[in-house]
Amino acid sequence: MSPARVDNLDLMAPPIIRTIGRRSLVVGLIFAALSLIGAFIRPDQFFRAYLLSFMAWLGVCLGSMAILMLRHLTKGGWGMIIRRILGAAMRTLPLLALLFIPIFLGLPKLYIWARPLDSISDQHLREHLQQVTQSYLSVSGFAIRAVIYFVIWGGLIFFLTRWSSEQDHPSARDNSTRFKALSGPGLVLYGFTISFAAIDWVMSIDPSWISTIYGLSFLIGEVLSALCFAVVVERILFRYKPMSELLKPDYVHDHGKLMLAFIMVWAYFAFSQWLIIWAGNLPDEITWYMRRLNGGWGYVGLFLVLFHFAVPFVFLLSRPFKRDVTRLVWLAIWIMLMRYLDLYWMIEPNFSQKLSVTWADVVVPFAVGGLWLGYFFHNLASKPLVPAYDVSANEVLEPVHD
Amino acid sequence: MDERTEPVTAERERAPVIEPGYTFGSVTDKISSIVLTRPTSNGWFFGFGLAFLLTMMMLYAIGYLCVRGTGIWGVTIPIGWGFAIVNFVWWIGIGHAGTLISAILLLLRQSWRNSINRFAEAMTLFAVASAGIFPLIHVGRPWLAYWLFPYPNTMKVWPQFRSPLIWDVFAVSTYATISLLFWFIGLIPDLATLRDRSTNHASRIIYGILAMGWRGSARHWHRYETAYLLLAGLATPLVLSVHTVVSFDFAIGIVPGWHTTIFPPYFVAGAIYSGFAMVLMLSIPIRKIFQLEDFITERHLQNSAKVMLATGLIVAYGYIIEGFMGWYSGNRYDGFTLWNRLHGPYAFFYYMLLICNIVIPQVLWIPRLRSSPIWLFLVSGVVLVGMWLERFIIVVVSLHRDFLTSSWGMYYPTRWDWMTYIGTIGMFLAAMFLFVRVLPMISIFEMRTLLPEAEVKE
Repeated sequence: MSPARVDNLDLMAPPIIRTIGRRSLVVGLIFAALSLIGAFIRPDQFFRAYLLSFMAWLGVCLGSMAILMLRHLTKGGWGMIIRRILGAAMRTLPLLALLFIPIFLGLPKLYIWARPLDSISDQHLREHLQQVTQSYLSVSGFAIRAVIYFVIWGGLIFFLTRWSSEQDHPSARDNSTRFKALSGPGLVLYGFTISFAAIDWVMSIDPSWISTIYGLSFLIGEVLSALCFAVVVERILFRYKPMSELLKPDYVHDHGKLMLAFIMVWAYFAFSQWLIIWAGNLPDEITWYMRRLNGGWGYVGLFLVLFHFAVPFVFLLSRPFKRDVTRLVWLAIWIMLMRYLDLYWMIEPNFSQKLSVTWADVVVPFAVGGLWLGYFFHNLASKPLVPAYDVSANEVLEPVHD
Repeated sequence: MDERTEPVTAERERAPVIEPGYTFGSVTDKISSIVLTRPTSNGWFFGFGLAFLLTMMMLYAIGYLCVRGTGIWGVTIPIGWGFAIVNFVWWIGIGHAGTLISAILLLLRQSWRNSINRFAEAMTLFAVASAGIFPLIHVGRPWLAYWLFPYPNTMKVWPQFRSPLIWDVFAVSTYATISLLFWFIGLIPDLATLRDRSTNHASRIIYGILAMGWRGSARHWHRYETAYLLLAGLATPLVLSVHTVVSFDFAIGIVPGWHTTIFPPYFVAGAIYSGFAMVLMLSIPIRKIFQLEDFITERHLQNSAKVMLATGLIVAYGYIIEGFMGWYSGNRYDGFTLWNRLHGPYAFFYYMLLICNIVIPQVLWIPRLRSSPIWLFLVSGVVLVGMWLERFIIVVVSLHRDFLTSSWGMYYPTRWDWMTYIGTIGMFLAAMFLFVRVLPMISIFEMRTLLPEAEVKE
C-alpha cells in the first residue's frame, strides 16, 4: 500500500473517546473518594471488594495481552480490527501495578496466612499454615512473586507496544516475525504467571484448599472478559468513522465464535472441577463448595450456570446474532457482569457464610473501573485504530477504498 | 523452510499446501494409481506380513487369556489396572488427532487438513479398535462384556451410572461410531472415482457397492456437504469429551495422583499431543515411499509440529502445577505421591517421561527442525514413548503405593502383557497397510479443491 493512500485516511479514534475517558475518570475519582472514606470506616469490607475489583479489571488487561499474542500467532482480520483496542487495554498495566499496592496494606485482612499464627484458633489450620507460611505463603514471598509477575507482564507489553507503534509509520519494517517469536513464549509465560498469581492472590485466601485447574479457570475467565470488553469498545467506535467503515460482519462473527468457544471452555473447566471434587467428596476439598453452595451462595452458583453459560450459549448459536455487533454487544456487557459475579462467588464466600452484598461491592468496582477506563480511553485515543503499515493491515483497510 | 529467510509478504502465510503444476486429472491419477495400478511392492508384503504375524501373536495371547483368565497378566492387588488400562488410554489418545484434524480443522476452515485427514481418520479408527480390545479383555470374562450396556434383563443387573467406567462405554462407542461414519462418508466420492477407474471386474463391483450409487450430481454434492458438516459438528465435542471421560476414570477416584482437577484438559492435550506424533510417524514414511511430498508438504509437517509443541506445553503445565500443588497442599499423601514418583522404585520411568514429553520436544521451537522430516520423525517417536510412560506412571505408580503401607506392592508386566501390547501395534499397522493398499489414502476430491482451477469467481 502506498503511503499516500493511508494518509488520506484518518485512523485516529473519534474525539468522543477522549470525552468518555474524561467522564470515566471523573466517575472513578468520585467513587475513589467514597471508597477511601469507606476504607476507614469498614476496612474489612473495603479490602475484599478491592481485591475483587482489582482482579476483575486486571483480567481485562492481561486477557487483552493474551488475545493479542494469540492474534500475532494466528493472524486474521478479526484480530487486526481489535488490535489497538486490546493494545490500549493492556497498556493500563502501570496503573494496575500502582493499584496493587493497597492490597499490601490489607494483607492480614484478606489472607489468613498473613496474620500472626497465634491468633488462629483452628488448630488443624494452624499446623498446616506453619508449614506453608514458612516456605511459600509469606509476606516477603508474596511481594517478590508479585514483582516478578508484573515485571514479566510489563516486559511483554513493552515490546508488543513498541513494535506495534512502529507500524504506524510508512518506513515500518515488517515486525510479524518478531511478534511471533515473542508471542509463543509470551503465551507460555502468561499461562504460568497468571496461574501462580491466581494461587497467590485469590486461592490462598483459603490456604488449605487446592485445585490444580484453578489457574486455567482464571486464565480463560480473563481472556473471555477481555474479548467481551473489546466487543463493547468496538461497538462504541462503530458509531463513528473510521470504525464504521472498517468493521465487517465477518469480523464480528469471528468475535462471536470466539466468545462462544471461551464460554464453553470456561464451563468445561468449571464443571470438571466441580464434578471431580463433588465425586471425591474429600474434607480438604469439598469445604470450598460447601461454602459456595450453602447460605444463599448456591443461588449465585446456579445463576452462574444459567447465565454465565446456558443462556449466552444458546444466544451465541445463532449466526445472525453473532454477526450483528449492535446485538452482540449486549451479551458482551452481560458476560462482563457475569465475570464479575463469578469472581465475587469465588472470593466473597471465604469471608461470609451467608450471601451478603456490602456497600463496598458496589462502590469499589466503579472506583477502580472508572480510573482504569479513564486510562484506557486515553490510551485508545493516543494511537491510530489500525497500524496502517503492518503487512497484514491491508485486509482490514481495503474496503475503505472501494 | 526457515521463517527468517521467507519473503516478507502477506502471502507468506499462504505457503503451498499442494505444490504447483497439478491439474484435476493429475491429482486424481496420482492418488488413485497407488491403489489401482501401482504394483504391490515386496516391501508392502514384508511390512504387512510382519504386522500380521504380530496380530496373530496378539490373538494367541488373548486366546490364552480367555482360557486362563487375567492371572496370566502382571496385575495384582493393589495394581489392578496395569497394562490393559495403560494401553487403552494410550491408544484412545492417539485416535484424537484424527478427529481433531477431520472435524475441528474442517470447521475452522483450515484447508491444509485436506491431504492428511483421510489417513488420520483411518488411524483414529484403527487406534480406537486397538484401544477397545483392552477394557474388553480386562473385564475377565469378555463374553459377558455386554453387561456393561443398560438393557432390560431377568438378572435385574443394571450398570452403575455414577461410575465413569460406564460413561467410558458410551463415550468410546459413540466415538467409534461417529469416526467410522465420518470416515466412510468422506470416502464415498473417492470410492466412486475408484469404481469408475478400476479395470478389474471384481474391484469395480466392490467399490461400486461401497460408493452407494454416487454419481456426482449437484444434488449429491449438496447433500454430501451438508451431511459432512453436520457430522463434523457432532464429532467436535467428541474430541474433548472422550478423553475427558477417560480422565474421569482416574480423577473421580480419590487415589493420590489420580484425584486432581487439572486432569480433563491435561488428558485432552496429551491425547492430541500423542495423536499428532502418530500422524507424523505415519505420514513421514508414507510421503516418502509413495512420493507424495507434493501433497503432504512441509507446511503440513510444520503445522503438525506446532500443534505438538503447543499441546506438549499444556501437558508440561499439567506436570508443573500438579507437582507444585502436591507440595503446596501440605497433604501428606499428595506429597508422598510426588516423592514416590521422583525417588520411588519407578523413578527412572518418571525421569524418562519428563525427558521424552517435556525436554526433548522443546527442539520444536527451532523453525528449521519443524520442517525436517527426520527430526520430526524422531521427536514424534520420543513423544509416543513419553505419552505411554505418562499413562504408566499415572496408572501403576499411583496404585502401587497408596494410603496404607501394608498394602503396597510392585507391578511387573508378564510376557502376556507385552505380547498383547505389541500385538495391538501389529494389528494397527496391519490395518494401516491394508488401508493404503485398497483405499485412497489422501482425499482425491478435497485435494482437487485446493487447486487454483477450483476457485470459483463470484
